[in-house]
Amino acid sequence: MFNKRLTRMHIGLIRALGRNRLEYLASNTMNALTQRVDPFIWSFECQAKVIAIRQETADTKTFVLLPNQHFKRPQPGQHIELSIDIAGQGDRLVRSYTLSEMDDTTVSITVKRSPKGRLSRWLHDSAQLGTTFDISQPRGRFVYRQQQKLLFICAGSGITPGYAVLRHILAQPQVADIAFFYRSPTPELTIFQQPLTATGKVDFSYSQQGPQDKSLAEQLTAYGDILERDIYLCGPESFKNAVLKFLAGIYYDFERLELEQFAPPSTLTCQPRKLDEDVTVHLKSQNLSFVISAQDSELTILEAAEAQGVQMPHGCRTGMCGSCRTNLVSGEVTGSQLGKTIYPCSAFAASRELVLQ
Amino acid sequence: MSLKTKSAASATEPQTNGDPCAAITDARNGETTRGCETTKDYEAIHQAFEAIKQKHRDDLGPKDTRHIVAMRRYSRVFEVLGRGLILALPGPLALLGVPFLFLHRNLETLEIGHNVLHGQYDSFAEIPQFHARNFRWKAPVDELGWRQEHNAVHHVHTNVYEKDPDLNHGFLRTNDQQPHTKLHYLQLPLYLLWLYPTMLYNFDSQNLGVMERFRARYFPKGNQGYAVTDEKHAFSETEARRRHRRATWRIFFKEYLCFPLLALVTGTGFVKVFLANLLADLLNSYWTALTIQSTHFTEPLQPEDALKNKGRWYISQLDSSVNFKGNRWQSVLWGHLNYQVEHHLFPDIPSHRYPDMALEVQAVCRQYQLPYKCNSSWGLAIRKVIGVMWRYSFKNTSSHSMEESFLSKQQSAQQVKHVQ
Repeated sequence: MFNKRLTRMHIGLIRALGRNRLEYLASNTMNALTQRVDPFIWSFECQAKVIAIRQETADTKTFVLLPNQHFKRPQPGQHIELSIDIAGQGDRLVRSYTLSEMDDTTVSITVKRSPKGRLSRWLHDSAQLGTTFDISQPRGRFVYRQQQKLLFICAGSGITPGYAVLRHILAQPQVADIAFFYRSPTPELTIFQQPLTATGKVDFSYSQQGPQDKSLAEQLTAYGDILERDIYLCGPESFKNAVLKFLAGIYYDFERLELEQFAPPSTLTCQPRKLDEDVTVHLKSQNLSFVISAQDSELTILEAAEAQGVQMPHGCRTGMCGSCRTNLVSGEVTGSQLGKTIYPCSAFAASRELVLQ
Repeated sequence: MSLKTKSAASATEPQTNGDPCAAITDARNGETTRGCETTKDYEAIHQAFEAIKQKHRDDLGPKDTRHIVAMRRYSRVFEVLGRGLILALPGPLALLGVPFLFLHRNLETLEIGHNVLHGQYDSFAEIPQFHARNFRWKAPVDELGWRQEHNAVHHVHTNVYEKDPDLNHGFLRTNDQQPHTKLHYLQLPLYLLWLYPTMLYNFDSQNLGVMERFRARYFPKGNQGYAVTDEKHAFSETEARRRHRRATWRIFFKEYLCFPLLALVTGTGFVKVFLANLLADLLNSYWTALTIQSTHFTEPLQPEDALKNKGRWYISQLDSSVNFKGNRWQSVLWGHLNYQVEHHLFPDIPSHRYPDMALEVQAVCRQYQLPYKCNSSWGLAIRKVIGVMWRYSFKNTSSHSMEESFLSKQQSAQQVKHVQ
């Protein structure tokens, strides 16, 4: 009861004042007492509170979150990291979730319960209205950049960023030319089936139902102007790899590919290759090069760059957030890699010369 | 100046052969007896100061958190005492509370606020309230604007003409390079009577670039001679004004509305509390202004390229700052800014370590014959800075021309040597 009122007060406060003004008031009145009175508002951390839970499919729920005043306004297609201390398990779990919906005060995440996923299990089984946890600022580059011709290729729970960007584009006065390919096991397991059907833009494909005669490649070939479209790709890793292989086969310009990536690629376990000689790395966009000496072969490309005083964009340093993502123009790497896309924070040089975008 | 005699004494000492800093020593004497590769000396000086910094970085620990937490506790106690006395005592007796309120404002402004916003306590996870990112000043100064102006500009280009914004807070003229305007004839009385008592508010408008429009309008030479806000960091005008409004209103609201109204409600007098708070506010500004201004303006302007070499930069920091003496408790009330030299060498080391670091810095300065300056008292430092302000309020100050910087003296000495 009290909890509900408190939540309503928080929603009201953020709506009435806006996050910016609330931040001014809260930060200037922060002390040991106020922090105890209301640890949601008087907090140094960016926190979010669950204010509604909706069942999407049998194993998928949408959680509507109210972030506190530290949260910056997200762009559709971005994701947040949830950090949760699960009672009795001691350690802190950190997972990324795409924001499937957002309005001025709230954001939503849509989570599929995976039997092995500790955090998704916790969200489904233990999170209630009023549950509060730390979140990160919105992150990611999977956002709409006013392109005119687009193709979304999504599969499974990878629909969430595609759905967010699609809704955003459809709400614009001038709607771009959109094609949307969405693959899921069966209609029952399709997340956002109704709203997606309602847009009339989505081509559904079911992997466990309907005509099995067409391969993924054949289905994608159906998009005749695929080479002219900017592609947004999101889905399980095996699916992404299949699509990337197809795209490489038709010589698609990887510069125009936007990819969402949270989970460390399975290739991460790959050990750095022992180098016999120094590696020269060229960064095309920065027009500079540096050398990784043979004895530094256990350093990731990012670490090696930093050791030389070269700045490369990066975020989590574990291959999760995608902030460092870049394309391999020539050369070879081991470790975190998807097609021509590599993650310098968790990839190692494997040829004498590397050219990165 | 006690240190001047010290350096003069050391300059007369016979030099040991192979002293890596012989060239600098020579330059100090204005003679050129022997030259050596200065870049090597700079590197040695750089390493010597880095070693002091690293030593104290490695030593960071509970001692530092205890210090800042204790400072906040003192500040709270003084606040309760001050506000309580002002509220409870009748009439002029309420003045008895003002010193306590002043102590609270002072600790929050200098020892806590200034040092926390330098990031001195950022590495201690257990005190998030003292991380620069989280901290909010109980002073009318916008934290982000200050950190950009003070940390990123003043501390990098200290006493560099047209680069250091602190050289001319408002419209001050303290060197002969700056163009003279009529208003400068009045700068001493204007500053002592009007701008110092409201200095914190002026700092804020200066940091945010709100002053630049005023200068461009009222000064015939516009912004010539002034360090204008770095364009990269400049706020848009609306954003700057919004930040200024927010930074000042939180003080206005608390000091001149909230507590006077509380007094009104409890029937002990709105005006009394308002005036007492005003007095504490003015004292706080005055104290802060005199602390800060007396530690840079009397020192020589620095060459623009001092930043190019880390060793040279350290020397320019030594040369552009001057300490004044005080015991540890007094130093807390100055936010340890009386150890201005140490503060400028190591701005992100917790300030209560400066008295210890001073001994190590002095040892390095002796070893490499570098300038280390210290006034014997705050009073002397203030007299000197008032002298500077008086001298430069007049157009023609050639007879009192400013002392040349250590670095440029050294450079000209080397040029002389080349010619010979």
